[in-house]
Amino acid sequence: MTALPLLLALPFVAALALAALPRLSRTAAALVAGAATLGGLALLGGMAGAVADGEVLRFKLDWLPSLGLAFSLRVDGLAWMFAAIVLGIGALVVLYARWYLADEDPPARFFAMLSLFMGAMLGVTLAGNLLLLVVFWELTSISSFLLIGFWHRRADARAGARMALTITGMGGLCLLAGVLLIGRIAGSFELDVVLAAGEAIRAHALYEPALALVLLGAFTKSAQFPFHSWLPHAMAAPTPVSAYLHSATMVKAGVFLIARLHPALAGSEAWFWMVVPVGLATLVVGAALALVQQDLKGLLAYSTISHLGLITLLFGLDTELAVVAGVFHILNHATFKASLFMAAGIIDHETGSRDFRRLNGLWKHMPVTGALAIVASLAMAGVPLLNGFLSKEMFLAETLATESHALMEFLVPAGALVAGIFAVAYSLRFVHDVFFNGEPVGLDRVPHEPPRFMRVPVEVLVVLCLVVGMFPQHTIGPLLALGVQGVLQGPAPEYKLAIWHGFNLPLALSAIGLVGGVALYFGLQRGINLHRIERASTGKRVFDALVRRLVDLARRVTRALENGSLQRYLLLLVLAAVVLGGAPLLEAGPGFGDPPGTPAGIAGWLALALLVAGVLAVLRWYRERLLAVIAVGVVGLAVSLLFVLLSAPDLALTQLLVEVASVLLILLALRFLPQQSPPERRRGRAWLHGVVAGAFGAGVATAVYAVLTRPTRSISDYFLRTTVPEGGGANAVNVIIVDYRGFDTLGEIAVFGIAGLLLHALLRGRAGVPGTLVPPQPARPAFLLQVSAQVLLPLAIAVSLYLFLRGHNAPGGGFIAGLVLALGVALQALAAGREALGAPDGRTWQAWIAWGLVVATLGGIGSFLFGHPFLTSSTPYVDLPLVGAVPFASATVFDTGVYLVVAGATLLMLAMLARVHAQAGDR
Amino acid sequence: MTAAVLPFVVGALALAMLLSLLRLLRGPGIADRVLALDTLYVCTLALLVVLGIQWRDGVYFEAALLIGLLGFIGTVALGRYVERGKVIG
Amino acid sequence: MELALSIAIGLLIAAGTWLALRARTFDLVLGLTLLSYAVNLAIFAMGRLAPGKPPLVREGTAGALATHADPLPQALVLTAIVISFAMTALLLAIAVRSRAANRSDHVDGGGGDGA
Repeated sequence: MTALPLLLALPFVAALALAALPRLSRTAAALVAGAATLGGLALLGGMAGAVADGEVLRFKLDWLPSLGLAFSLRVDGLAWMFAAIVLGIGALVVLYARWYLADEDPPARFFAMLSLFMGAMLGVTLAGNLLLLVVFWELTSISSFLLIGFWHRRADARAGARMALTITGMGGLCLLAGVLLIGRIAGSFELDVVLAAGEAIRAHALYEPALALVLLGAFTKSAQFPFHSWLPHAMAAPTPVSAYLHSATMVKAGVFLIARLHPALAGSEAWFWMVVPVGLATLVVGAALALVQQDLKGLLAYSTISHLGLITLLFGLDTELAVVAGVFHILNHATFKASLFMAAGIIDHETGSRDFRRLNGLWKHMPVTGALAIVASLAMAGVPLLNGFLSKEMFLAETLATESHALMEFLVPAGALVAGIFAVAYSLRFVHDVFFNGEPVGLDRVPHEPPRFMRVPVEVLVVLCLVVGMFPQHTIGPLLALGVQGVLQGPAPEYKLAIWHGFNLPLALSAIGLVGGVALYFGLQRGINLHRIERASTGKRVFDALVRRLVDLARRVTRALENGSLQRYLLLLVLAAVVLGGAPLLEAGPGFGDPPGTPAGIAGWLALALLVAGVLAVLRWYRERLLAVIAVGVVGLAVSLLFVLLSAPDLALTQLLVEVASVLLILLALRFLPQQSPPERRRGRAWLHGVVAGAFGAGVATAVYAVLTRPTRSISDYFLRTTVPEGGGANAVNVIIVDYRGFDTLGEIAVFGIAGLLLHALLRGRAGVPGTLVPPQPARPAFLLQVSAQVLLPLAIAVSLYLFLRGHNAPGGGFIAGLVLALGVALQALAAGREALGAPDGRTWQAWIAWGLVVATLGGIGSFLFGHPFLTSSTPYVDLPLVGAVPFASATVFDTGVYLVVAGATLLMLAMLARVHAQAGDR
Repeated sequence: MTAAVLPFVVGALALAMLLSLLRLLRGPGIADRVLALDTLYVCTLALLVVLGIQWRDGVYFEAALLIGLLGFIGTVALGRYVERGKVIG
Repeated sequence: MELALSIAIGLLIAAGTWLALRARTFDLVLGLTLLSYAVNLAIFAMGRLAPGKPPLVREGTAGALATHADPLPQALVLTAIVISFAMTALLLAIAVRSRAANRSDHVDGGGGDGA
């Protein structure tokens, strides 16, 4: 099944191509986006037969199997239907946008974002794994953000984009949490498993929280009350975007999710009480607010909110017939609302205004557009012979059939009736106020019909409204059946798609709605004149206030914590660690086990004594810095000795070498720093620090001792067992570094190299260092040192190479050998001056670092040649004279890289610090 | 014979190191402390060799070798710093 | 030896933290050096103390934890030693630059008594 991933990939490919070709003309860009859309439709069409036969098409690619995340796609009836909406409306919107965009709008960027959104939306519909669905879900939020803010110079566009992203983004986080819970309950994130696990999910203790979280995601996305207010502000987007994202597709993602997870989550009291009231409130509030807007798109936005509420309400009612009505209305709403948005865009495009107060009497100027808009409006109002009527009848019938608490049995149909009246009224306003009702006010041009092809998408959609409205069974019937089967994951219930169901209560309600709506509209126009209503958005005010408050809070917290003193941050950090780490330790007790009582021996006690004495000496002398360096040297020696005694020869070697190199570096730098620390000015603070540090030390000591007295369960048996047969080296430490954990080591040598380069960047050129604080004395020639250094260099190189080559089987390896080489060169500099440290700008050692990284990477890739994964060694041995068997392994190549980087970076550091000049020349 | 002597040698070296430590801590001059650190390194070298003999394990001889080869660099650097105020000319 | 080593690590941590909390850059370098020792020893000790059993698998014998020290913490610590060396070097360079820029070696730049 390769068509499935291809179908999903097409829009992303188009988006990438468009992003790569920013200079494409409007037509060319539209063609690219359109080709992807039509190609997708063709692929989707190819799947129609199988899906109609009830097959579920799947594609699966494991991604992070340990997390249950698979790239799995799944097409059943619902997914197919939604994908058809996304691609079908998408094709029309691309055509429409070709004519809508102005000359100054960058077309490639627009279509790239649109294609990105299309891909994301397809991903949501086709995802067969809930985590994957969430990924695409977030991607729709992001692409919607980009599209709303397309005219990024306009403040309202930026604000609207931000608001939409904030609200839907927070919903997305809730959804992720909910999905994680569901995945935990169901045992898998695969949709197939989750949909089949409905019983278990509903019975689980975490069902309600999971449901609430998922619904929060759906409600924010589908602009349900009280999260609806981002949608009207998203109208700052170009109209094709509104038509596509904010009426037909993205806002439907919420109801799609509700439909998608219906088998897993629906069918409980909690479901009814969480979904129905929200849907009902949204239905009524949206309809009422739609009537009082002064912006064409504003009216449509609130109407969309209302219709989304209607669909939500239907899914909440949770009968099979309600599901039919809900799916049907998704289809119908997408058709008439997209066409209405496009009509509004045409009006805006040709008149330069979207304001009801200025737009009047346009019928004379644009009769064709007018006729199309009228038909679509009537569909929105639910007038017979149009598609909106059919689903509305079903909706009314379902509300009347509500079986629940008596209050809901009354409220639901009553709300539906009220909303119906408002719907008729605002639909009427859209028609009457724009196309009739006097003359245009203050337009700066004479309106006329749009370019021919800009109208085509509207015409297509309006024809669909009519055809579906008159011959539902033969047009929309099969698609609807597919969708319903997909939602229910089973056969669709018995239902009849017909215009005439006889005289019944729903019809009566419909009639009351029509008459009431007409009366309401004309009553209001005559009574208070709708043009006079000035209304600021409450939702926006609340949102802004909340955001302001949050920012204020953040600022206060920041100010309270961050006063600019690094000393204080560190104290807070340590305090937090002490409290967070100490609390469980105090609560549960340290849990010491039986001490294994490893004997220390004379040497062990000696090392520990050196260590303790050294630490105390550092504390005693820290203000006399040179003395403190000597004391630190004692501690370092003690640590090396401990490594020797505790069977870590590699560590002992490394520690010894690092000690020597550190002393060199510190002394090189100390010259430019004060030789003494000033006395503590605030004794109280020093004591406070002492208490905190003491607590920290005591906590760590307790934790370490607790671990040491408990039994160990190490994975290292594996390393020790396989180091010779598989790693090809007797030194398990080195084999782990260059083979088992080689990738990690690659990162670490990169860090080491970067540290060297950073040091170079900090100290290159004249760093502006004020005069040294230690007056240099005239140098006397050091013959003895010079001679011994000359003798020692070749010896150091030989030892370095020896340690390097033996490293796989005996203590040594790239790290140690690199340090030996660096110190050998440093000794030359001590004896003969800084010229021994290579080129003045350090480029010699930079090259070493670069080549080292290249060699290490190549060594890793080399294992591909032997058919192993990256950085896996394979080991033929070569016998070298004197050295013995040397593994001619890809690991050796890798270790060569380590060697070069370590030596190069160490020498770069030494060279740069040795070259720091005092500002007024080297005194 | 060797086995009987070795613990004694280890003890003697440990004593030497403790005395060096004492010198390092008490000074009085900075040169005394630098030399004491150097002596500590040299004694460690000897200790490693003796321990290697005692444990019949040559693994630690490399550490001893490195101290012998490069351990004095720290001493030289400290000496230079005290004497000239500048480690690398 | 376990108890003594744990106490020594705790002492290193306490001393290192206290020094790191001082207001001067060089004291911070000293403190972080002690902290590195402490952390390296602590990680190393997680593999338990096993004197006389270096993780070198002799020819013809099978490696096992019973006869060898745990090599994994050793491998982790080996790179950690080198990385903390790099960190020391970097901090020294920053200390030198910071004093050049601020005419003071106070960690917060100003700090009054310039020198």
